[in-house]
Amino acid sequence: MAEVRYAEASRAYPGTPPVVAVDSLELTVADGEFLVLVGPSGSGKTTALRMLAGLEEVTSGHITIGGRDVTHVPPRDRDIAMVFQSYALYPHMTVAQNMGFALKLRGMPKETIAERVTEAARLLDLEKYLDRKPKALSGGQRQRVAMGRAIVREPSVFLMDEPLSNLDAKLRVETRANIAALQSRLGTTTVYVTHDQVEAMTMGHRVAVLKDAVLQQCDTPRTLYERPTNVFVAGFIGSPAMNLYTVPVDEHGARLGDLVVPVRRDAAAGLATVTVGVRPEALCLVGADEDGFKLAVELVEELGADAYVHGRARLADEEQRVVVRVDPRDPPAIGQTVRIGVRDHGEVHLFHPDSGERLHS
Amino acid sequence: MATLAPPVSGPAMPAARQAASPRREAWQRRLPLTPALIFMIIVTQIPFVFTVIFSFQSWNLVRPHSQHWVGLENYANVFTDSAFRDALLTEIGMTALAVAISMVLGIGLAVLLDRRFPGRGVVRTLLIAPFLIMPTVAGLLWKTTMLDPVYGIVNYLLRLCGAAPVDFVNQHPMASIVTVLVWQWTPFMMLIVLAGLQSQSNEVLEAAKVDGAGAWTTFRAITVPHLRPYIELGVLLGAIYLVNTFDVIYMMTQGGPGTATTNLPYYLYQRAFLGFDVGQASALGVVTVAGTILVASVALRMLFTVFATTERRA
Ligand SMILES: Nc1ncnc2c1ncn2[C@@H]1O[C@H](COP(=O)(O)OP(=O)(O)OP(=O)(O)O)[C@@H](O)[C@H]1O
Ligand SMILES: [Mg+2]
Repeated sequence: MAEVRYAEASRAYPGTPPVVAVDSLELTVADGEFLVLVGPSGSGKTTALRMLAGLEEVTSGHITIGGRDVTHVPPRDRDIAMVFQSYALYPHMTVAQNMGFALKLRGMPKETIAERVTEAARLLDLEKYLDRKPKALSGGQRQRVAMGRAIVREPSVFLMDEPLSNLDAKLRVETRANIAALQSRLGTTTVYVTHDQVEAMTMGHRVAVLKDAVLQQCDTPRTLYERPTNVFVAGFIGSPAMNLYTVPVDEHGARLGDLVVPVRRDAAAGLATVTVGVRPEALCLVGADEDGFKLAVELVEELGADAYVHGRARLADEEQRVVVRVDPRDPPAIGQTVRIGVRDHGEVHLFHPDSGERLHS
Repeated sequence: MATLAPPVSGPAMPAARQAASPRREAWQRRLPLTPALIFMIIVTQIPFVFTVIFSFQSWNLVRPHSQHWVGLENYANVFTDSAFRDALLTEIGMTALAVAISMVLGIGLAVLLDRRFPGRGVVRTLLIAPFLIMPTVAGLLWKTTMLDPVYGIVNYLLRLCGAAPVDFVNQHPMASIVTVLVWQWTPFMMLIVLAGLQSQSNEVLEAAKVDGAGAWTTFRAITVPHLRPYIELGVLLGAIYLVNTFDVIYMMTQGGPGTATTNLPYYLYQRAFLGFDVGQASALGVVTVAGTILVASVALRMLFTVFATTERRA
C-alpha cells in the first residue's frame, strides 16, 4: 500500500526540438486509490505510466512511491506490478509459471508460491488453466493471467496500460467490473491508463485527463462531468459529447440563436463572446411559445432507454450541429423542425472564448 | 430461416468442382517444377546410380582393363577398414566442435549486435564478411597470413608477447581447421540468432524487468527458451554444411599430418583420386551417403517435433 506522487515529473525525448511526452506532471494518487489516466491518442498516458514503472527515464522532476523517491530506482526495486496492453505473458511458461515467476525470482519457497498462485487463480477463475501455455488461452483468459501475474506479487502499486483494449465489447464491460471489484477488495493503489472515457468514468475513484502531455484536470468522475475545468475536458468527457458553441454575449446573457442564456455579469465581464457548453441531456424540446431555438432534425438515435436527436441549428450566424436527448417514447421525426430550450440554466457551462478556461458562474 | 437455406447447398458446389479435376490441378502444380527436377536428377541421381554400380566392381584406374564384378566385397572392406573408422571419428569431432563453438560465439555476438550503438551497421557488415568468403580462400588466408610460423600475424603477435613461434597447422592441425570453420560459420549462427532476438517482444522483456529479473536471469529464463528453435535450426543447417567440409582441409593440411584431419569427404577423395580405387571409393561414398541420410532424417524429425511442440506451447 502506498501513495504515489508525480512531482513536476517530465519526460522529453531527445530531438530538435525535443518531443515532450509528459510535461511537468503534478499528481498525487492516494493510498488505495484507483486513478485513471485518460486522454486522446498521443497525449502521454503510456509514457506517464512507464515513468512510474521505471521503464521510461524521468528527465526532470521526481516520482515518489510511499514517500520514497524512486526517480532513479530500477523497476524491480519499486514494488510495482504492471499489466501490459499486449499482456506480455511469457510464451514458454505455463499459466502457473507465468504467475509464479516473480515470486520464484524472490527466492520464495515452492509451496508458498503454489499457494499464492492457486489463490490468485481461484480469484480470477483460472484454476482449470494453470497447466496451459498462454498460446492455448482465449484473449479474455490471457488478460486474466496478466492480472493474476500482477496480483500474486502483492505489490504496493498496480499499473495497467489499456488492459481491456484487446477484448470484445461485451467482455470488456464484464472485465471492467471485475477489475474494479478486485481492486476495491485488495485495496491496492492502482494507476490505470485508457483512452476510453466510459472506462475512465466507471472505474476510477478519480480521473486525470491528459492532453498534449499536459494534465488538464484530475477529479472525481462526477466533478469532471459537472464542472469541467476547460473546453477540452468538457468535450472529452461524456457521451454523446457536450454541445460547445462560441456565441455573442451581452448584458442579458449569451445568445444561442433566439435563446438567451443568462450569464452572471462578473463572469463574462469585458467579453464580447463566450463559449457555451450544454450537455445533450440539459437540452429539451419546448413549445412554440417558450424560449428556444429552431433545430432541423437530421437523425434520431434510439438507444432504448434514451433517444438522441442530431440536427442543425443557426447559432451566432453559423450552422451548428446540436445533439439533444429526448424522451424515447415520443421522438421527433427526421426532417421535422423542432424548438429546443434549456432544461435548467444551472447546467449551462461557460468558458473563455480564447483560453477555453471555465468562467466562474 | 430462409437465410439459412443457401449455405446448406453452398459447400456442395465447390466440392463437386474440386472432384472434377484433381489430377489436372496436381499437374498444374508439378509442371513448373519439372525442369528443376529433371536437372536435379541429371546432376545428382544419375551419378549416384553410377556410383552404386561402380561400388559392386573392382576397378582401379592404375590397372587398366582390371574392371570386374566383385559383389559386396567393397562393402565388406569398408566396415573392416580402420582408416574409415578414424575418418568417421574425425568427421564427428570436427563437425561437433565447429558447430558448437560457432553457435556459442554467434549467440554472444548476436546479443551484442541486438543493442543500439553508433556504427552498428558497419560492425554487422564486417562480422558477416567471413561467411561470404569462399572456403578455399579462407583456408589459404588462414594458413598463410594468419598462422604461418614465419610471417603469420598470430605468430607476430606471439613474438611481441615474447612467446616462441608456433607452427599451428602442423602442431595443432585439428584446432587450426576448427578455427577456420568457426571463423566462417559464426556469422551464419549470429544472423539466425539475431533474427530470433529481434522477433522477441519488447513488452515481454519489460514484464520480466518489472517482475524483478536482472539482465542475466532475463536472458536465461526468457530469451534462451525463445531462441531455442532458432538455435536448433542453426545447428542443423550448420551441421549439414560442415559434414561436407573439404576445401579448407585440402588447402591447409591435406588431411594430415598423418590422418589427423582426414574426415570422410577427404578420405573419399584420397581413395578415389589419389589411390584411383574407383570401386572401393564408390562403396565408401554409398555408405557415407546412406549414413548421412539416416542421421539427417533422424535429426530433422527430432527438430520438427520440437518445432511442432514449441509452436503449440508458444
Ligand atoms: N521513443 C520516442 N521518441 C519520440 N517521441 C516519442 C517516443 N515515444 C513516444 N513518443 C511521443 O510521446 C507522445 C506520448 O506518447 P504515449 O505513448 O505516451 O501516448 P498515449 O497517450 O499512450 O497514446 P495512445 O492512446 O495512442 O497509446 C506521443 O506524441 C509520441 O509520439
Ligand atoms: Mg498508450
